[in-house]
Amino acid sequence: MRKALLMTMVLVLALGLAACASGGGSGSGQTPSPSSASPGGSQAPSGSSPEPVTLRIAWWGSQPRHDYTLQVIEMYQQANPHVRIEPEYASWDDYWKRLAPQAAAGNLPDILQMDLSYITQYAGNGQLEDLTPYLNREIDVSDVSESALSGGRLGDKLYGFNLGVNALQVHYDPALLQKIGLDKLPDNWTWDTYKELGQKAKDAGLYFETGLRPEVFFAYYLRQHGQRLYSPDGTSLGYDNDQLFVDYFTMTRDMVLMGASPTPDVIAQIKGIEDDLLVKQQAISVWQWSNQYVGLQTAAGRPLEMHPLPGPNVKQGMFLKPSMFFSIAANSRHKEEAAKFINFFINDIEANKLIKGDRGVPVAGKVKDALKPLLPPELQKVFEYIQWAEQNSSPADPPDPIGAAEVMALFKTYDDMMKFEQITPEEAAKRFREEANAILAKNK
Amino acid sequence: MKARQLRNHLAGYAFISPFVIGFLAFTLIPICASLVLSFTDYDLFSPPRWVGLDNFRKLFFQDNKYWKSVRVTLTYVLFAVPLRLVFALLVAMVLNVQVRGVGVYRTLIYLPSIIGGSVAVAIMWRNLFGDQGIINLGLIFLGFDPVRWFGNPTAALWMLILLAVWQFGSSMLIFLAGLKNIPVTYYEAASVDGAGPLRRFFRITLPLLSPVILFNLIMQTISAFITFIPAYIITKGEGGPLDGTLLYSLYLFRQGFVYYHMGEASAMAWILLVVVALLTALLFATSRFWVYYESKGGA
Amino acid sequence: MPGKTLRKSLIYHSCVAVFTVLMLYPVIWLLMSSFKPSNLIFVTADSLVPEPWIWDNYTIGWQGIGGYTFGTFIQNTFVIVALATVGAVLSSAFIAFGFARMQFFGRNFWFAIMMGTLMLPYEVVMVPQYILFSKLGWVNTILPIVVPAWFGQAFFIFLIMQFIRTIPAELDEAAIIDGCGRFRLFTRIILPLTAPALATATIFSFYWRWEDLLGPLLYLNRPKQYTVSLALKMFLDNETISNWGAMFAMSVASLVPVLVLFFLAQKYIVEGISTSGLKA
Repeated sequence: MRKALLMTMVLVLALGLAACASGGGSGSGQTPSPSSASPGGSQAPSGSSPEPVTLRIAWWGSQPRHDYTLQVIEMYQQANPHVRIEPEYASWDDYWKRLAPQAAAGNLPDILQMDLSYITQYAGNGQLEDLTPYLNREIDVSDVSESALSGGRLGDKLYGFNLGVNALQVHYDPALLQKIGLDKLPDNWTWDTYKELGQKAKDAGLYFETGLRPEVFFAYYLRQHGQRLYSPDGTSLGYDNDQLFVDYFTMTRDMVLMGASPTPDVIAQIKGIEDDLLVKQQAISVWQWSNQYVGLQTAAGRPLEMHPLPGPNVKQGMFLKPSMFFSIAANSRHKEEAAKFINFFINDIEANKLIKGDRGVPVAGKVKDALKPLLPPELQKVFEYIQWAEQNSSPADPPDPIGAAEVMALFKTYDDMMKFEQITPEEAAKRFREEANAILAKNK
Repeated sequence: MKARQLRNHLAGYAFISPFVIGFLAFTLIPICASLVLSFTDYDLFSPPRWVGLDNFRKLFFQDNKYWKSVRVTLTYVLFAVPLRLVFALLVAMVLNVQVRGVGVYRTLIYLPSIIGGSVAVAIMWRNLFGDQGIINLGLIFLGFDPVRWFGNPTAALWMLILLAVWQFGSSMLIFLAGLKNIPVTYYEAASVDGAGPLRRFFRITLPLLSPVILFNLIMQTISAFITFIPAYIITKGEGGPLDGTLLYSLYLFRQGFVYYHMGEASAMAWILLVVVALLTALLFATSRFWVYYESKGGA
Repeated sequence: MPGKTLRKSLIYHSCVAVFTVLMLYPVIWLLMSSFKPSNLIFVTADSLVPEPWIWDNYTIGWQGIGGYTFGTFIQNTFVIVALATVGAVLSSAFIAFGFARMQFFGRNFWFAIMMGTLMLPYEVVMVPQYILFSKLGWVNTILPIVVPAWFGQAFFIFLIMQFIRTIPAELDEAAIIDGCGRFRLFTRIILPLTAPALATATIFSFYWRWEDLLGPLLYLNRPKQYTVSLALKMFLDNETISNWGAMFAMSVASLVPVLVLFFLAQKYIVEGISTSGLKA
């Protein structure tokens, strides 16, 4: 008995050391290069009776998304009895916490949901498979526009398949807007209108908006002026005139100081969409992505309207954003099968009747058309807006460069400091540029 | 004689062998790996690249946030640990009686510590300290100005300190167990000698409880240094406002898992390890002046 | 004299009760929120009374996610927690006895190593450790969470050590003279005498593992293996409507096992040495 115990312990110890020796050559446990795990597409025998395959698929989201995605998987398994799909789902935070160690261990799921803000990080380091060879083989893209596809491109490689399209919007409560004497937000409004409405809202004891996320709306502002937040190669900031920074942040800071936009500490107290300032009838509008409209409307429980962002040059500033991607891991051993599932997810109309545009407005034309009449009115509105935006936008910026998460934190820091009047916009512009460029310079 | 000594050594190792084996099997490799990683540029996705002392240089000389997080953490430890311990000891003494229903009190008072680091506690705490929360209502009722807990870096840190104090249950439980270990006969003897409650506390309770106090002091200090869950969940992972709650470990987490600078995160971890180890050694060194052991077998 | 005791006990109870309620206000808020409709929880946050009072959060929450009810999640959690707690407490007591009562070469070295393991933030050990366990093929099993517990846990080792050291050493000597071996000294005398510490360690181990998120998150990827802490977060999403009511309700429900264990174990802390102890 004791001997057996000892033997087990020795065995465990030996295993541990072996793992160290094989993995820790240069000190860390590195993945055995992803390529060794995947002998290309050669091994998939496309014979008459396909070999049984198990695919792992991972996504983030909340309960409704988990429920319908599981149904879609069930549907796919019935149509393809040789495929078994193991779902791995989690909330947004947890998802990324789990994915990073899996990537480090070369153990990523075959299919993984990807976000625009992470895709460079994962793809740039060889964790994701280039999907280009699968297009019009496993994945039918005859019905998908190039502009919808291109969101997942880095250089000439496609690392994520766009699952849906989003665009920026202003969502507002018409009843509250009436309190400042307007029936609807004016067409062709501008940032000057925004400031005026802010003043009126403040006089009526309301916030005009619930805070604009700087990395999103400053980027839009830059696009309106023909500039970009990041340089095309991602090694520095893309705009060279700090006056744009000063103008934009002076404007948003003044909105806060005047009381037309909540201070950062008021925003910090919000726990979820259910106690959003608009939902509580304290703010007239929320500036966010089009796919968030339905949730906001449900939480508010009263009719809301949508409107394009202020001009000038709306078309130049507007862009379509991929809401999320499906990517295939480079370490996957069943890439063709994974690609087939992605094809099903994008092109199958029955499947999309379950998905109902939760992952953004579908990219396949047929699916979009088939779906539209079946949708509740508020979702139809979103679909129509996206249709409008397709005609009234310019190509999106390439995915955020590596280091964007740090730049985002910088934005947050300086935005808060300006709103708490700890720093002037001029000084912030200078320091932001220095620090952001130092972060991005690492990509050289 | 020699054989007996050898047998003593062997017996010692036999008893601690599970720890030694477990350490070698599961902990040593990851720990060594993290040490090596602290000298590399590692983003988790591609192989680490050796950069020597670069990470340490950057942290010490180029990173304002690093020093900010050091200051925030020191403030947090300095207030949260003593307050929590004193509070825990007081409550433990009150609950260390043979009264009917005291078990229910103990359970209920321990309850806040059970809900720990869950989302629910974050929601609750944010609600409590909100502009219309009960804390501010109480302050107004007592004639004070309400505090903008989320707008002032110092106030926000105090929100975390108060959370730590509120969740004093684990320390209380250990004190309670320690108090129970003091034989009743000591107190009886002291009472016969006419010693008052205060005298009994300082002459009997404190000395006999000192090993447990040492334990709580060391453990709470260590855990206060490496904690970040409360800051993470209450500030939505950002450590705001104006980095006022950017605890060291929160910044470390952000470096490792938000920015994917695992090299710098590892460097931060090892700096912390050295500092906390020195501090712990210091506490142990002072313990010979104030900790009283019944058995002198110890170090 | 009886009147005086009654008055004293009345004062004691009222003081402690008031204090308890104050401490518990946030918990009561949590409990009451679990009976409110999900969309009203934050809107009516300043009122303790649910209006209307509903039970739906419990019935809906219990249905869980993806076809697995909360019963599954609680069962999963319980298996992990029970196995790990038994292992952690027993092995830690064994190791603690070695550190507290044995003189051997390298003792301070190993003690320092043990304390050191407490001081390194887990975040930097996490990834290498994940790679190690993934090479052992332990991902998607409970082994990475349960097995290390059987090799002692520094916090408990140190805790039990401190308690052993409050036991007079003369007791050991007497036992040894009586012909007790070291192992029997440990099981027959030291273990019973450290009952309060063991009960404390059991409570902590149980509760820490019950609420642990990171371990299950990394090592249990299949929804049928999910633990309570993982499942609770499934109700929430930053971008859209969250089922707060179900989250609160299931948070409350998942506290029950921990509370029951605490209530049972705290008796051992109380009874400790003063009743059973010195008779040995």
